[in-house]
This record gives sequence, structure tokens and C-alpha cells, in this order.
Amino acid sequence: MSENKNRFLPYLREDRLPHIFCPGCGNGAIINAFLAAMEKADMDFDNIAMVSGIGCSSRIPGYLKCDSLHTTHGRALSFATGLKTANKDLDVVVFTGDGDAASIGGNHLIHAARRNINLTVICINNNIYGMTGGQISPTSPKGSFATTAPYGNLDTPFKLAELVAAAGASYSARWTTVQMENLVLSIKAGLKNKGFSFIEVATQCPTYFGRKNKLKTPTAMAAVMKANTVFKSAADRMSARELEGKIVVGEFANTQKDEFTENLERISVEKSGKKTLINSAYSTEL
Amino acid sequence: MIGDFKLIIIDENLCKGCHLCLFMCYKNVYAISPEVNKKGVQLPFVKFEERCTKCGTCEVACPDQAITVDLPENWWMNEDVNFNPLFTRHGK
Repeated sequence: MSENKNRFLPYLREDRLPHIFCPGCGNGAIINAFLAAMEKADMDFDNIAMVSGIGCSSRIPGYLKCDSLHTTHGRALSFATGLKTANKDLDVVVFTGDGDAASIGGNHLIHAARRNINLTVICINNNIYGMTGGQISPTSPKGSFATTAPYGNLDTPFKLAELVAAAGASYSARWTTVQMENLVLSIKAGLKNKGFSFIEVATQCPTYFGRKNKLKTPTAMAAVMKANTVFKSAADRMSARELEGKIVVGEFANTQKDEFTENLERISVEKSGKKTLINSAYSTEL
Repeated sequence: MIGDFKLIIIDENLCKGCHLCLFMCYKNVYAISPEVNKKGVQLPFVKFEERCTKCGTCEVACPDQAITVDLPENWWMNEDVNFNPLFTRHGK
């Protein structure tokens, strides 16, 4: 490269940079990973529609130069389902946080996975509600501290990647922000996969999670995350006691299944022939 | 280095000083500068440029899109290449 410009800047709204995320937040790295994966998967950037809910991670589509939809809290997957059903040629990507996907939108998540609709969901799991001041989220590890848990969290967290794999998604994986190469390849596989693709990314949140849990700097959080990572093949041979507090990374589901919009298209052609639901109104124009 | 050619460029306006590039770099190319710039950020700088293998990890891992590495054009577009082809070859 002769002009020496960052290779991700052409996709970003440069007048809005530097972005609002705290120093060391993993969201910016996930923007880079997504853009690198999109280039690797040979996708058309103009054909991508991004949907997001409410939260720190849901601000990502606002910084990207593509069509985006900023929706109500937890309902990003419902809006995405409607968008994909209305126009099945769009590549719909959903950016969602752990509070958005697991707590208020939990049922939307498992039912989207059950239907196996062709979406790519990138769930950015920072283990805490970062935007509202550091409350406990459904994925906070047991024993971690937060504003609403001054004596430590007593509950067992959700394992989102396993949950979505059990709900029937055709692709489900979990990676962290310190394993950049694997994350890029996993997002690429999710974009190419026909069906519901769920990629959970464990990130650092030094401002709220780190400050409450004695990991103030981004480097300390990344080092702890790297030390606690166990690959899935190794985790299968470990006992439940050894796996306490560890992050299991890897692919949890990678299968082929019937897809929702194709089923809808097939039944529409079968029952009404050329007069399909979507295109009959525009048939003279097309 | 010839003239003003630089292998790694760090954008001072975008960097927020999280120092994740120091942690992510496999070859410890970066170091923290002792001076503070006008935003109150201790910028990282390239101290050991001869160690760099152009793997491009810091470019992807930088949350603020501040790092630019002078990589060969579009190496990441190849289907079978997951890493920079120059990464395995020991440079210079």
C-alpha cells in the first residue's frame, strides 16, 4: 500500500471517529475482525444490512457505511427476522450484546435459532451491563463483582454458544478477542453458512467489569482472558471442577439444515405458483 | 529505513492509549513513550522495527483503527492463505 491508510477506514464513517468506546474496549477490534472476515468471504458490502439493539456493542452499525437498523432493546433478532423474510437476498448481520441477546431477548434468540433463519449473529459478551453503569448480566461469571453484586455474583452464568447450539442453530462458536485469527475465520464461516450462525465473542470491559474485579487495565483483562481460555477438544477431557471459571472456545455446532426463508419460498411457490407473496405486487415492474 | 518510509504508522488522533498492541504483538515490537500528548495519552511507538514479521495482528486487534502496517496489497483476500505469506519467511 503506497498511500498508507488503515485498511478498515474506507468502511467506516470517518467523520465520527474516534468512536465512543472506552480505551481498550473490544468492540473496535470486533469491527476490524468483521470487516476482515467480510473481505475474506467475498461479500458485497452494499448488500449487507446490519441490525442492532441497545447497548455498547449495538452502537457498532452507526460507525459503518452500510444500511443499518437501530432497534428497541432485545428485539434486534425479531426485526432482523422480518427484514430477512421480506427480502431474502439481503445479507443480514446482527450485532448484539449479552444483555440484549441473553436477558431481554432470550426467547427471540432461541426461537430464531430453532427456526434456523439465515442470519449472522455476533454476540459481544462483556459479562456486564456496561452502558448503564455495571450491573450483573446473565453471563457474569460466578463470584464476579458488580454494582448490583457487592458481595459477588451467586448465580451460574448462561453458556450462550452451547444454548444456541442446543436450540438448533446450524453454526455456533465462541472465541475471545485475543484469538484474532480464529475469530476472523469463524465469522467468515458464519457469513458463508446457510442458516442461523451465532458467534459469541468474549471481550474485555476494563471500565466496569475490570474496575470492580481488580483488573483495571485492558492488558490485565486480556492477559487473564488468555490464561483462562480452554479449547473445546481439551475441555471435553476435563472435569467440571477443572473447568470452573474457564472460557471454553471452539465450534459447538456446524451442520446443514433446512432454512426458514427457503422453506417459505418453496411453500409459496407450491401453493400459489407465480403469484407469490412478495413479488406479485411488483411483477409488472420486474 | 529510507527517507520517510515507515513500516508501521500509528495515528495520534485515533489512538486512545489502551496499549493492547503491546500485549497482542508476538514479537514485542512496541514500547510506551514516556511523554504525554495533548489528549493525555501515552502513545505507543515502534521501538524494534527489525523484529516485525508483518503478521498484521496489531492492525486487526487495534480497537481504534489507529495502526497501519505496510502489508502487501490484499494478501488477506486469498482463499487458502490465512496469514500473511511473508510471515513464515524470515524477513531481511
